[in-house]
Amino acid sequence: MSARKIVTLVEEVLTEGGRPVEPAARVAVVAVVIANPWAGQGFVEDLDPGIDANASEVGALLAARVVEALGAPVEAFGKAAIVGLDGEIEHGSALIHTLKFGNHFRDAASATTLLPAVEKRGPAGVVFDIPLKHITDATIRSHHQSIEVRLADAPHAGEIVIALAAAAQGRPQQRLAPLSSEQ
Amino acid sequence: MSMTERTAHGASGAGLRKIVYYQEDVLSENGQSPVQSVRRATVAAVVSNPWAGTGPETDLSTAAEDLAPLLARVLTDRLLEGLGGAEQIEAFGKAAIVGTAGEIEHAGALIHTPFFGNLVREFLEGSSIICFADDRAEPGQPLVVPMWHKTHAATRSHYQTITTRVNDGPRADEIVVVVAASTGPRPHPRIGDRNTDPVVTSAILQGAPA
Repeated sequence: MSARKIVTLVEEVLTEGGRPVEPAARVAVVAVVIANPWAGQGFVEDLDPGIDANASEVGALLAARVVEALGAPVEAFGKAAIVGLDGEIEHGSALIHTLKFGNHFRDAASATTLLPAVEKRGPAGVVFDIPLKHITDATIRSHHQSIEVRLADAPHAGEIVIALAAAAQGRPQQRLAPLSSEQ
Repeated sequence: MSMTERTAHGASGAGLRKIVYYQEDVLSENGQSPVQSVRRATVAAVVSNPWAGTGPETDLSTAAEDLAPLLARVLTDRLLEGLGGAEQIEAFGKAAIVGTAGEIEHAGALIHTPFFGNLVREFLEGSSIICFADDRAEPGQPLVVPMWHKTHAATRSHYQTITTRVNDGPRADEIVVVVAASTGPRPHPRIGDRNTDPVVTSAILQGAPA
């Protein structure tokens, strides 16, 4: 992994809909900007060597940092891969859609479900939304949420931004009926 | 309850909706590790504009004196927590973005008086004037915040900027107030300093093509 920059974003919502949120709702994101392992190689058929060389290392780095940044037990989580303009979306997917990447976060958060994801290609400064769902039951409706992220100068054309998101709770003022209560 | 939580709790009564902390650790720049490991961060608070709907004759001092010190405390507490204490911080800056129903003067009222600036300087243990940016904008508009050295403002290696952004703020009747800080200089500072500069005047243009 050739990393250029690590970005940490923490949002705390103190009021929503005009009412206090107590304790403040916390969502954290940690993103790392790395060189696209397949940059400049044309169409690479077999992505496995690049996955093996990078996915676990990136997953370990981000998992530890996002849990620390949240500073509370993780209740919902998600992931992102934003590929610079010269790469394929497949390159970003390759690095995050593998157990070698995601298991670090699942282990750190005591989670059991799949990580919801966003994969996208864009210029530096592109805005992306990371979807989050509950860490042990993806049908828990109160925890469906997303967080918006933007890195001012990443990804460059030959880079990929890989990110993890963690929430300490569901949506602020969540009040939808649970899925199980519907017929 | 931590100091930050206590202060934030008090400030929520003052119309504080959201706090956004953004941090950058630069590991490599132009292919090489920075000369010094540097962490940079912004903290943005979204508050109700206390002067929304008022005219340009409105006195801004009372509300500013009530709100600005609280914001200075909340923002710097979060910054000190993220950057590891005032002794780690070498450069600072500030900013405000007023929503479209407000005046730029409202943004200035929250950051350009001693009720904000002096407290930020004190909490971050600086002595320089704090450089700034302000704007009136829709939610989600990025703002580039300048920073310079907290005790020696003319130190050229520490001239740098960081981009702040709140995805859903400021709403029309809100203000985003920001403090930014860095633990060091730019990644590869090499453009000299006041002490090494030659004397430069317009005489160097003599004989140059017009």
